[in-house]
Parts: sequence; structure tokens; C-alpha cells
Amino acid sequence: MSHEISAPQPGLYLADHRSSGPFLTLVRYRELLRQLVIREVKLRYKRSVLGFAWTVLNPLFAMAIFTMVFSRIFGERPHYPLYVITALLGWNVFSLGTSRGLDSVVINGPIIRKVFVPKAIFPIAAIVSQVVNFVFSLVPLFLFMILVGAGFSVHLLWLPIPLFGLACFALGVALLMGALNVFFRDVKYFYEAGVLAWFYATPIFYPPEIIPDKFKFLLHVNPMYALLESLRAPIYRGTAPPLEVLIPGLALSLATLATGWVIFHRLEDRFIHYV
Amino acid sequence: MSQLVGTLDTVNPTELSLPSAQAGDSPVLAVENLSIRLLLHQERTRSLRDSAIRLLRGRTKKRDEFWPLRDVSFSVDPGEILGIIGANGAGKSTLLKVIAGVIPPSVGKVVVRGRIAPLIELGAGFDSFLTGRENIFLYGSLLGFSQKELERRFDRIVRFAELEEFIDVPLMNYSVGMSARLGFAIATDVEPDLLLIDELFSVGDAAFQKKCEGRMESFKAKGVTIVLVSHNLKLIQATCQTAIWLHHGQVAASGLADKVVAEYQKFSAAPSG
Repeated sequence: MSHEISAPQPGLYLADHRSSGPFLTLVRYRELLRQLVIREVKLRYKRSVLGFAWTVLNPLFAMAIFTMVFSRIFGERPHYPLYVITALLGWNVFSLGTSRGLDSVVINGPIIRKVFVPKAIFPIAAIVSQVVNFVFSLVPLFLFMILVGAGFSVHLLWLPIPLFGLACFALGVALLMGALNVFFRDVKYFYEAGVLAWFYATPIFYPPEIIPDKFKFLLHVNPMYALLESLRAPIYRGTAPPLEVLIPGLALSLATLATGWVIFHRLEDRFIHYV
Repeated sequence: MSQLVGTLDTVNPTELSLPSAQAGDSPVLAVENLSIRLLLHQERTRSLRDSAIRLLRGRTKKRDEFWPLRDVSFSVDPGEILGIIGANGAGKSTLLKVIAGVIPPSVGKVVVRGRIAPLIELGAGFDSFLTGRENIFLYGSLLGFSQKELERRFDRIVRFAELEEFIDVPLMNYSVGMSARLGFAIATDVEPDLLLIDELFSVGDAAFQKKCEGRMESFKAKGVTIVLVSHNLKLIQATCQTAIWLHHGQVAASGLADKVVAEYQKFSAAPSG
């Protein structure tokens, strides 16, 4: 028996199956990704009467609360409820996506222990599901805009770009936190507390102008500000996203995604012993 | 990694001489100097607090190394049926999981040429809230099938699992046997190049087991390469041409199935001392 490889290197080489890099492996498992997203979207509201409506009702309730509490303070803004809900829907993509994505590797431990699967597929599915939810919730959002008499602008065509940035940023965070959470389950709890602080630090229900000057720099290092403003501009203001905000936001998002991707795949091989 | 290789015992596993090997054919499965290393107290979920404590105390303890598999080498040629035997904890199931890609090797490598059908944990990834139909697509895609393929195979899978009436019922209402039948039907409805079997399934009732055996026979007839883990030495002798005896993660003997089984039996029968 002649062995063509004289100096064995560690690693698994499966010809024609998963020998290629992590990205191509994921591409080959795209059908699984589709199935996981379908399951996530379908099962979330199983056995609930209102079902999918909750995806929209949730932010609507939050919007109603913010409007009641803050309309005195920020009420002079026209369409304050619309101002809040556009950012809330975007924020939900991030916060729900990352909190589910962060857990997803551990939760799918039973699968990871039994069959080969590209592990990044679970955080990706969590984020994609939230993007799908967002797209669905645009329908009631537009109905709401008609209801309150807000205008529709051609700049709505910009929406996919901040949404793409949002997905990239959320995925980067989910990959990073998800990988660390495999080794330290505390990460989840730290993150949950952190995300709450993050919510209040981002102008979602308040205008960015009220932030004291000495803290304004925070807005520039917070991609969520850039992305939510860019999401808000076409819907709420009827303008194109401010490029001087959008472009750095996109850059930060892509950098986060690259970091998360690299770290996740560095640690991936050790997951099996910890899940 | 290279210094790791240096620390390995130099165990020379017996080279396999394969009776059925067709000259010139490259093996479907080649396992070369495969080792799996676990760091015992490390391979546990820690909390940040534990880590901090460990850091403060300093690394006083030498890490406990454990090698579930150590320097395992063998290859399997197209059409060959290889049996893996050994006591509980010898590393048989771990070896199958490495071949299936579930556990990455610490040292060495595994090369598989072609498509694997792992009959290791049937129905891993079944979601009990989803219906049988939905689970066929979920589990099928987990095994790497495309939607088109699954649509094409769907009717045959359902028919084989004998679940025509229940296919749109959530899996949580299935009996254990029904889920197992569905898992077996999905996983084996393929033309794999390499079939991995951990303990021949006792799936379903006698009638269904007959069907499973029938499917196995047709795989054999088609010349599918099979790696079979079993405690049933009679089965190994009857099914496999070659065998490997794993002992504490190392290859204790390999070669013709009858010979390896005989050696293993001699060892097991001998008074331990």
C-alpha cells in the first residue's frame, strides 16, 4: 500500500465533500441554512394565535410605550412614533439576531456532537432569520406610514444597504460572542447586560442631538448609530442615508464581521470538546 | 503540532494486507497516524471565575493528557468491508466520528474519497416540533443533500419508513420506532461511497429489521465500502473481510477478519493480570 502523503499534516481532508475552506463548505450547505431559517421563522410563533404578527406587534408595543413616556420631551418631532419604530425594527435585527446567534452553537451541541456540520451555519441562520423578519415587517410598517400620513420617498431603495450592514455587523458580533460562549458560558450573561446599555447609548427613542458634546464621539465608534440613522433616513426623513455616516458604519461592520469570522474558525475545531 | 508528533509512542500498526484490493485503486478511506488528544481537566465548560482562580493559583498541575486514539493507521479499499472490534472505551465510536468529520484529528489525517453516509446517530438534528415531512428536509440537508435530491427521494423515503399516513404529523407524536425508521430511511436512501455503521441498528420491529438487512445486502451487492463497528464478533466474521482490533485507542491487530477476531477472543479469554 503506497501512501502518497509521506508527512501527514493534522486535519481532515474529505475529497469532494468538505476539503475546501470554510466559506465553500458553507456554500455547499446552503440548503441546510435555508432549512434552519425556515425552522426558526416557522417555529418561533408556533402555538401562538397571532403567530407572525408578534414580530410586528412587539416593536409596536415598545413604540407605544416610548411614545407615551417620551412624547412630552421629544414630542415636537413630527411623526415621533415613526421615528422610534424604524430604529426599533433595525435594532431588533441586531439584538435578537446576536442573542440567538450567540447561543446557537451551544444549543445545537447535540447536532454538532453527532454529525459533521459547518458550525458557523447556526449563527448565520440566526441572523438571516432576523433579516427575514425585518423584511416581512416592512409591510405593516408601510401600512403604518400610510396611516400616519408619512410620505414615501424614492430613497426607500437605499434600504437594502444599511440592512446589509446591519446583518454583517450582527453576524460579526454573533460569531465572536458565539465562539467565546462555547468556552465561557458567562459571555451570554455579560452580553445581555451589555446589549441593554448599548440600547440606551444608541439614539433609538431619542434624537442624537441631546447627547452631551463630550460623549458625541461614542456615536462615531458605534456602528449601530450609523446603521440605524441610515435606515431611518429613507423611511422617516425621506432622504438618502447620510453617506458620511453610512460609509464608516459599513466599514466598521465589515471589519467586525471579518474579525468574528476569523476568530470563530480558529476556535471551531475545539468546539466539539466543549458543547 | 509537530512537537506533538514527537511525543507520540512509536507504535507501528500492522500494515493491512487486503485480499480484495484491486491493484491501482486508491483507497476510499485512508487513516494515517491518527491521534486524538484530550486535555482532561480542560475539556470542560469553565466559567470565567474558574479560569480566574486557575490563573491566580498558577498552573501548578500538569495537564492530564488523554489519548482516545493514538497513532491509528489503516486504509479501506473500494468495496471492502472493514470491521472494528474492541472493548468498551477502546475508541471505536470515536474513530467513526473522526472519519465522519465530527471530531477533528489532533495529529495525523483522514482522507475520504467520496460521499459518506454516517449511520452513527440516526436522526441527529430531528426537530420534534416539525412534521415528518419537514424533518426529512432538515435532516437530509444536514447530511448534505440538496433540496432537489430530497424532493426526488421523498416518496421513496416515506414508503421505506412506512410513514405515509403520519408524514404531516409533528415528530413529537411519533413513537421511538417511527423516528428511528425515518432516520434510517433518510440516511440510507443514498448511493454512498463509504458507509459508517456503529452497532447494527435494532430499528423497529422484526419486519422492519428485515428491510434494513435487505438494504444492507443491496449496498454490499453494489460494492459500497463499509466500516462497521460492532461487539458482535459473529457478525464481523460473517460480514467483513478485514478487521481492526482497537485496544486503549491503539491498533492491537489488523488484517483478515477471522484472524483478528481470533486474536481478540484469545486476549479476552485469557485471565487478566
